[in-house]
Amino acid sequence: MVQDLMKKFHEAAVSPRAQMDKYMAEGKKIVLTAPVYTPEELIHSMGFVPMGAWGADMELNRSKEYFPAFLCSIVQSILELGIKGAYKGASAIVIPSLCDTLKTLGENWKYAVDDIKFIPMTYPQNRKPDYGIAFTKAGYERVIRDLEALGGKYDPAALAESIRVYNKHNAVMRRVDEVLAVHPEITAAERSDIFKSAYFMTKEEHTALVEEFLAELGEAGEEKIGIVVSGILTDAPQLNQIFDEFGMHIVADDVAAQSRQYRTDSPEMDDPLEALAVKFANMDNCSVLYNVKKPRVQWIVDTAKARGAKGVVVVMTKFCDPEEFDYVMIKKACEKADLPLALVEVDRQMVHFEQVRTNLETFRDMLTM
Amino acid sequence: MITLGIDIGSTTSKCVLMSGGEQIIASSLRIGGLGTEGPAEALSDLWDRADIAPSDVSRTIVTGYGRNKYEGADGEVSELTCHALGGRFIFPDLRTLIDIGGQDAKIISLSEAGRMSNFVMNDKCAAGTGRFLDVMAGILRMDIDELDECAAQSVSPASISSTCTVFAESEVISQLANGVSRPDLVAGICESVASRVSALARRAGVVPRVCMSGGVAKNGAVRKALSESLGVDIDFDPMAQYFGAIGAALYAHRQLQKLSDNK
Repeated sequence: MVQDLMKKFHEAAVSPRAQMDKYMAEGKKIVLTAPVYTPEELIHSMGFVPMGAWGADMELNRSKEYFPAFLCSIVQSILELGIKGAYKGASAIVIPSLCDTLKTLGENWKYAVDDIKFIPMTYPQNRKPDYGIAFTKAGYERVIRDLEALGGKYDPAALAESIRVYNKHNAVMRRVDEVLAVHPEITAAERSDIFKSAYFMTKEEHTALVEEFLAELGEAGEEKIGIVVSGILTDAPQLNQIFDEFGMHIVADDVAAQSRQYRTDSPEMDDPLEALAVKFANMDNCSVLYNVKKPRVQWIVDTAKARGAKGVVVVMTKFCDPEEFDYVMIKKACEKADLPLALVEVDRQMVHFEQVRTNLETFRDMLTM
Repeated sequence: MITLGIDIGSTTSKCVLMSGGEQIIASSLRIGGLGTEGPAEALSDLWDRADIAPSDVSRTIVTGYGRNKYEGADGEVSELTCHALGGRFIFPDLRTLIDIGGQDAKIISLSEAGRMSNFVMNDKCAAGTGRFLDVMAGILRMDIDELDECAAQSVSPASISSTCTVFAESEVISQLANGVSRPDLVAGICESVASRVSALARRAGVVPRVCMSGGVAKNGAVRKALSESLGVDIDFDPMAQYFGAIGAALYAHRQLQKLSDNK
């Protein structure tokens, strides 16, 4: 039964286009959500199906007409897919302003992909003070106006209900993260499928599937080498295959496309739009969320200790400035805490993972010899 | 117990036979690594030199870039792990190993007890590797083994980019056109490799005793430039190119001991 559920997660994770076509055949409109954080609750409440658009592993050609080569391949692959028609039929894409590269994605999208409307979501750098919350809320209001132009209807009661749906999903994803920490038999590839599939299913469907999976999960398997994985994206099948091959068990993740999405709920407030802005203010421990005290660094160390990890693997997306800035602090903190750390570089165009394999094989030896 | 270590690199293949995990019985090295006849030739050469038959070998471990494709071994181990073991075998108080091979560079930190405590690898870039020296020697129409002696005659080493092999190639051609002497160019090329690798080494942390392994270790000009850049002595052993194969043979011996302990 668990294997049947894993198959469903896998099918959704590897077939975003089929999922999109299914929803469109049901008469639903699709709004794409680019990394790293978008107000999905708002999109959901206005009658659209939010679908993650984090690009794909592929060769980049057309995106280079707009971007220099030395630029985040996640962002480049989103534009590449847009230009090549992979998202055809989507009503819009919401692109947040959370890093410099994402800002340029929005501007380039307007010219490169004219059949899918670009909706900017401009976040403040200082999101916690009242003026930051007001700024975020104003950004959401802009998103509402753009979605209304596409036929959506904003209703505070509907948003409050969508927030409940999303908070419930957050809770179940936090729970699955905790449970998988003591289930080494669930492979890194399967764990990735559980998290990745969330982007291509409605949250109602995904919550139900994860709840079913948690209920079906049996006895924990044999112990493996516990690691914490950190980075923006870790969905490359070859990468997860290497983790599995070397007996590495992801006991926690600090991955933007995975657990970072689900750490913070929207609070209960009279004004649900304000609640959504407060949620963003309360979010933390992420390279693209400005915090001069960098609590993320200690969060990684504390989580690794709490989950009994033997080491930390930083999966660095090439040319990701925010992650590269944080890496130095993470490395120092891990050294101070006597926590072994490995750094592997990945990008969306990678075909050969030999260097990653050697790196992780050596790290495995370092942890076990 | 006889164990065999095979190190299939990107440009050379090395084999080492060890007895009891303590004594090197025979070794061989052939030009040609992954995807060539190099590994077969190195093995054939090894059997010619050794006074034992292949059937006397209790366990074989393969390492290096070509380890995944080699089918004649009992197991495969990462080259970093093997270089650490091999380096420590030759230098028992080794703390930092700088391995510059044909296509990559690696820095390995060892604890006082000899455990691997940290490592850093370069990634998909020829700068700071043996390939960089190969390309430059090609432009200068020199044999790579001549670079060391030529650099020793330098008066004022030329400045060569350590960022990119392709850019550096253009630079060398421009400097040749500007009349810069060959020894100064070669010394600059060796310093360029050292500059790139010393930056990598600082990321891992440099604790004496430091030694070099890999083919580039034979180049005294690179060793000297690295030593000056890092401010530490860098030891060299004539077996430096065999550290990976030695480590593989040692690893095979450890495995046999473990199997025997578990019986």
